[in-house]
Amino acid sequence: MLTLARSSTCADTRTVLGDSAGRVAPYSGRVSVAPSELEQVEAETVPAPDVPWVTIVWNDPVNLMSYVTYVFETYFGYPRSKAEKLMKDVHHRGRAVVSNGSREEMERDTEAMHEFGLWATFQKDE
Amino acid sequence: MGEPFKRTRRGVRVQLDEPERALLARLLEDVEEMLALDAAERGGVPGGPDDGVGDDAGEGGPLADDDVLAALEASLDVPPPSDPAVARLLPEGNRDDPELAAGYRRLAQDGLRERKRARLDSAGAALARPAPVLLDDAEAVALLKGLTDVRLVLAERLGLRTDEDAELVHARVMAQRPDDPVAVAATLYDALTWWQESLVHALR
Repeated sequence: MLTLARSSTCADTRTVLGDSAGRVAPYSGRVSVAPSELEQVEAETVPAPDVPWVTIVWNDPVNLMSYVTYVFETYFGYPRSKAEKLMKDVHHRGRAVVSNGSREEMERDTEAMHEFGLWATFQKDE
Repeated sequence: MGEPFKRTRRGVRVQLDEPERALLARLLEDVEEMLALDAAERGGVPGGPDDGVGDDAGEGGPLADDDVLAALEASLDVPPPSDPAVARLLPEGNRDDPELAAGYRRLAQDGLRERKRARLDSAGAALARPAPVLLDDAEAVALLKGLTDVRLVLAERLGLRTDEDAELVHARVMAQRPDDPVAVAATLYDALTWWQESLVHALR
C-alpha cells in the first residue's frame, strides 16, 4: 500500500497549496547553496524566476473514464468533481495538467501515474 | 449475469467463476513474465567499475566538467524497453526532451518495473485462493492496476491507438465472425474491460 500511503500525504499539501493558489510555491534552492552572503541577500530580495513544472496526463484508448477519475481522486486526493473535470479534459481535449510543483515532485507524480498505467509526462510549465 | 466484483463488509468478493479466475491469474502472470524478461535483457549493471568513465578525469588533463558529466550520464543510460507492450507499461517521462526522458528512465524505470511485478504476483496469488475469494484493499488495488497492465498489453498487441480503434474492437466482438483471427484477443479485451469497470465501482 505504498502508493496509497504516499497519496494521502500528497492530498494534504496539494489541496492546500496546489488548488487555491493555482500553483505550488517554488523552492528558493539557491539560498542554501549560495557561496557568499552577498549572493544570499540577492537571492532573498530578487526571487528566482518562477519555473514550476507540470505533470500532464494524455488520452489513451485503454483507460476507462471511471478508472481515471478513481486515480485522480485516490492519488491526488482531489474531490470527485475536480477529478471528473480533469478526466473529461483528458478524454475530450487529449490531455490535462493534473499537478504542478518542483521537477522532483512532478517526476514522482509521473511515476505514480505510470504505476496506475496512465500515460503521463512531466515538463516545465509553458 | 451478476457483477464480477462486489464490495462486502469483509472485502471485495470475486464473483468470477473458476475458469475465469484461472484465466485472469494466468494473464497477470504472463505480464509479470514479460517484465521479468525485460529485467533480464538489461543484463549487468551499467556504469560499473570497469567502464573506464571517470578514469580520464584525473590523469588525462583538463576535461571540462560538462564533458565528464555527459560521459557519465551516457554510461548510465537506461534504454527504453525493446518490446512496445513493455514500453507502454514503462513509458517515457517526456516526449520532446531526450535528456529529461533519459533522466526519468534512470530514476524510475527499474523501480516501476519491480513494483509492477510484485503486485502482479500478489494479485495473481490472491485469485488462486480457494473460493469464495475475498480481496482486502491492498489486493483489490493490486488487481485493479494489474487489470490495467493486462489491458494495456492486449491493446498494444491489438494495435489500439485511438478511441475509435477501441470501439471497433468492441464491434468486432459483437460481430462474432469465426474467421476473424483477432476475435479471441478482442473478446478477451472486452471481458477484461467489463471486469475492470466492475472492480472500480466496487472500490469507490
